[in-house]
Parts: sequence; structure tokens; C-alpha cells
Amino acid sequence: MLDNLNARDGSGDAGRERPRRASEHVQPLSDREVPLAGTATSEMINRWLDGEAPEPVALNAESTRQVDLWRRIEEESERRRHMVTPAHVKAQIMAALPADVPQVALPWWKKSIQVSPVVALAAAAGLVALGAAIGNSMRLR
Amino acid sequence: MKTTVPASPTDQLEVDQDIISRVLAGNRDAFSVLINRYSDPLYRHALGMTGSPDVAEDILQMSFIKAYQHLAEVRGRFDAWVFRIVANGCKDWLKNIRRTHLSYDEDDQPSGYSTPDEELDRTELRSDLDKALMTLAPSLREAFVMKHVEGRSYEEMADLLGTTVGALKMRVHRAREALQALLEEKYA
Repeated sequence: MLDNLNARDGSGDAGRERPRRASEHVQPLSDREVPLAGTATSEMINRWLDGEAPEPVALNAESTRQVDLWRRIEEESERRRHMVTPAHVKAQIMAALPADVPQVALPWWKKSIQVSPVVALAAAAGLVALGAAIGNSMRLR
Repeated sequence: MKTTVPASPTDQLEVDQDIISRVLAGNRDAFSVLINRYSDPLYRHALGMTGSPDVAEDILQMSFIKAYQHLAEVRGRFDAWVFRIVANGCKDWLKNIRRTHLSYDEDDQPSGYSTPDEELDRTELRSDLDKALMTLAPSLREAFVMKHVEGRSYEEMADLLGTTVGALKMRVHRAREALQALLEEKYA
């Protein structure tokens, strides 16, 4: 079975999210279409985290705590960003590859076919019979 | 095997296509160059999506084997093509398998924290962040992991996922809102 390599999990395309099915409304809270709060603080934090603005300063106490939380999450993300594939995994993958060379996939009309002499004779006889039948029907008209 | 990072995407595409031609001509070992070049970002993606090093390794292995078997079907960028195989593998796993292992057990990075208290605090945050990430919808988690853990630009993400920058910004912002709501009571 081939993977659908272009599958997008039904997620947004061309700037719009796909319509929700009724069954999806039982998904976790974070999966629902909830409008963003859009507060000045969250906007500033998002712009900062997206690299579009400097780190917010001169905020109230709550916003300062939020910025501190995201600074800590960013430190953890930075650590994860440097994780590498364990060395044994690469060797395992090479060892698990099939021995056969991957074949170039040809469309059916380009593929060669093998026909035995008996099948070829039968096909030829069938074509002759079909031609004779068509000829007879045309003569009768 | 040491690999040289190509200077531009066009060079990268040409180098990859050359390697693919060598593999298709029967040089099986040439495939290791592609594994060395692309396995780290793919592993981080699988790890971020599944939260389990063991599962991430399995998905990575299955994905590269699939990529090898269908190598003749590559059209365009190999890295984008193999990324979609890994991303689909992660989504399939999330749909089908009940998670039993949610923490990052492996940490090869030296600690930058000096005191035991800070180290303990960091471990706790790591665990809580993993748990919070697992509560996000797969599309939000995918966007957050690609942006924050993999450090990709929105343009690169849009290219890989076949969607728009605006849609991805919305997903990342939603993911942040949800994570903040889950973590701020304890940490903020």
C-alpha cells in the first residue's frame, strides 16, 4: 500500500481551515475553533516569539510572569532543538533496508510483457475469428 | 560519513538527485548520505509529535525504509518528500496507538544549570511541557513543534505542509494560548 504523501490531515489549505464536522466538537478544548483572546499582551508575546519584535518590557506583573514563562519554554525548546538522532538508529536503518535495488515505477503501457507461444497463437486465432465475424456481418448488410 | 551542507536549495536538490540516481543504479550505501543529512530534523519532529524516543526511532526507521522502497517516485525535493512520510507516520501513530510513554528520557546535552534546584525545576518543566503538548490537537502540536522545537520559519513550514503562512501563524498562536493556559498556574 502506498502512502498518500500529499495528505494534509484535512487541515487548512489556501489560507482557510476546513469546515468542522459535528463529530469533531467532542475534541479536546484546544482542538476547537476558539477565537484568540487578542489582548495587547498576547499580541506582544506572539510577535516577540515570532521574532517580529523585541522582548516586551515595562509590563504589568501578570504579563511579566507570562514573558518569564515563555523565556523558560524557549530555553527548553532550544535544548530540544539540538537533540540528534541516536547513532545506533542510523545503523539500524541501513541494516533494515531491503536488499533489492528500488525499482523505477513504470506506467502499465510502458511495461514489457511476456507471452508464451500458445497464448500468442490463441490471441492471433481470436483476432482472425473476430475479423471474420465482422466481415460477415458487413457483407450481410 | 561526513557530508557537506550544500550552499543553496538548488545545489541541495541537485546533490540529492545525484545521490538518488546512485542508489537507483544499485549503490545501496549511498542512501546513508541521505540518512545522515536529514535524520536529525526528522527525529526531532517525530520526538516532538510523539513524546517518546522509542516511538520516534521506530517512525524514523519505517519512514526511511519506505522512502528507500519508493525512491524512484521522488519528484522535487527529497527532504520535503521524506518529511511528509515522517509527518504522516506520526499522525498515524497518534490516531492508532494509545500512548504509554510520554517523557523525554534521553538527554545528551550538557546541563547549563548550576544548582540542583534549578535542574529539578527544569526537569519538572520538561515533563509538564510534554504533558501539555500531548493535550493539543495534532495540527496545533505539529505547528508548535515545527516552530519552536525545530526552529523553522513560517515560510518553510508552509512549504513543507502545503498551507499558508497565515494559517500556520494562527495554529502556532492557538497552541501558545493553550500551553500558556495549562502551564501558567504553576509556572507564571
